[in-house]
Amino acid sequence: MKLSVISEIFKNLFKRPMTVLFPMEKVEIPERERAKHKFDIDNCISCGSCAKICLNKAIKMVEVKKEYKEKYPKTYPQIDLGKCCFCALCQDICPTGCLILTEDFYLATFDKDSIIIEPLKI
Amino acid sequence: MTEIEEKQGDFEMYFGPAHPGSGNFSVRVQLRGERVMKAVVDPGYLHRGFEKLMEYREPMQNSVLSDRICVLEPLQWNLLHAEAVDTLMGYDIPERAKYIRVILAELSRIQSHFIWYAVMSMGTGFTTGFNVAMGYRDYMLDVFDYITGGRLYPAGYICPGGVRKDLPEKAEKKILTLFEKIDYMHKFAKKENPAWLERFKEVGVLTKEEAIKLGATGPILRASGVASDVRRDDPYEIYDELEFEIPVLDEGDAYSRYLIAMQEIEESKKIVKQAIDRMPKGEVKTPNMKPIVHFRKAKGETYTRNELSRGEGAIYMIATGKKTPYRVKIRGPSFTHMIPILKHLLTDSYYADVPAIYWSLNQCPADVDR
Repeated sequence: MKLSVISEIFKNLFKRPMTVLFPMEKVEIPERERAKHKFDIDNCISCGSCAKICLNKAIKMVEVKKEYKEKYPKTYPQIDLGKCCFCALCQDICPTGCLILTEDFYLATFDKDSIIIEPLKI
Repeated sequence: MTEIEEKQGDFEMYFGPAHPGSGNFSVRVQLRGERVMKAVVDPGYLHRGFEKLMEYREPMQNSVLSDRICVLEPLQWNLLHAEAVDTLMGYDIPERAKYIRVILAELSRIQSHFIWYAVMSMGTGFTTGFNVAMGYRDYMLDVFDYITGGRLYPAGYICPGGVRKDLPEKAEKKILTLFEKIDYMHKFAKKENPAWLERFKEVGVLTKEEAIKLGATGPILRASGVASDVRRDDPYEIYDELEFEIPVLDEGDAYSRYLIAMQEIEESKKIVKQAIDRMPKGEVKTPNMKPIVHFRKAKGETYTRNELSRGEGAIYMIATGKKTPYRVKIRGPSFTHMIPILKHLLTDSYYADVPAIYWSLNQCPADVDR
C-alpha cells in the first residue's frame, strides 16, 4: 500500500498558511472589483438608463433634498445596497460614465437604513 | 422496482438537508440495520424559479441571473445562456471573444473539479483533502476576480454578443502562473490514497447500460465507459480547432469517477494553454454593443447544449418578438444524476457509503432545483 499522500499531509503541517491575518494584512483587490458605487452628480444627465437596466430594481430615480433642488433640479439615482447584486450593468450603460463601481467592499453595517443611499451621498 | 415490505426494526434516516455533507438536498433512506433498502430523493430546498424569472427580464439581465443557476460553475452557465441568445439574435461573435469564453469556461471546469475533490474528501472524513482543495481553488478565484471583477459571480461576464470586457493586462501571464501554483494540488489529489481506495473502489457501480438508460451525461457517463462529450460530438465556440483527449474509464465505480475528474483537469489545462497561444487580437464583443440586447428582433426557438463540468447542460429558449423571452427551459446535468441515478445506486448499498456515492456523482443542488 502506498502511503505517499500521508507524507504530504505531514508536509502541509509545516507550510505557511494560505490565508492572511485580516485586518492587519489585506489581500490585493483588483481594479475590476465590483463593489460600492461612486456617483458624479454633476455629470449625470438624468436619463434613467441605470434604473431601467437594474435587474433587482435597486436603483430608483429620485429628487434631491429641498436645499439642493435649485442646483440639481432633475431626478438622480438612489441606490438600495440591500437589493444590489453588484453586476455593474448600470456602470456599463451609463452614457456619461458618472456612475461607477469602486473597489471599496467594506459594506457591512448595523444600521439597516444606511443601505439606501441618496444621490448626493453616493 | 418492486415495493419492499417493511419489517419490524426497519427505520428511516434523513441524509440532508442539514447534513454537513449534503448541500441543500435531502435523501430519505429506509434502513434495515446498516443496509439501505430504499432511497427517496427529496429536492426543492434551493428552488429559485429561474425559468419563470427569465421570462420577465431582458437577455442582458438574464445573463447576470444565469451565474446563479449553479454556483460552482457560473462561467459555464454564462456561456450557455449567451450562446442561446446569440443563436436567436444571429450574432457573429468576434474570434477573440470565442477564445476568452473557452479559456474562462475551462478554468471554471478545473475550479469545479477541485470542489468535487474537496466535497468527496469531506464526505468521507478526509479533511486535509478538503482544506487543500478549497485553498488552491481560492487562487483560481483570485484570477476570476482579476478578469471578471467577481470572485464567484462573474455577473454575466460572458454575455450575449461576446464578453463584457477584454482580458486585463497580464491576464494570460496570471493564468499560466496560476497553473504552476495549482500544480501541487493536482499532484496531491492524484496521489494514491489508501483511505480513498477503501471508500470509493467498487462502491456505487453504474454499468454502461444503466448509465445510458438512466440518462447519465458528462464525467459520470464517461466513467461508465461511454465516450460522450458535447465538445467533441457537437462542437461549439472553438473546440473543433483544439486538440484534447476525452478520458474514458470502464469500471463505473465512484473511484473511476474521481479519476475521470483528475484527467479532465489535465485536459482542461491543455485546452487553456492552446487557447492562450492561439488567441488573436481584436474586438471582444459585437461592435458598438451597449449592454442591451434588442431581443424584439429575435424570433424562433433554440436548443443549445454545452458540456459543463457536471455533464450536459442545455437551454431551450423561445423568442416571440417581445423584449423578454417567451419561455426558457433549463436542463441541468445534476437532475438526472441526482434523481434516478442516485436512487438506483443507493438501493442495496450500506449507509456508510451514502456520502461516498452521493458526492461521487458531482451533484449541484442548485442546478437540480433551479
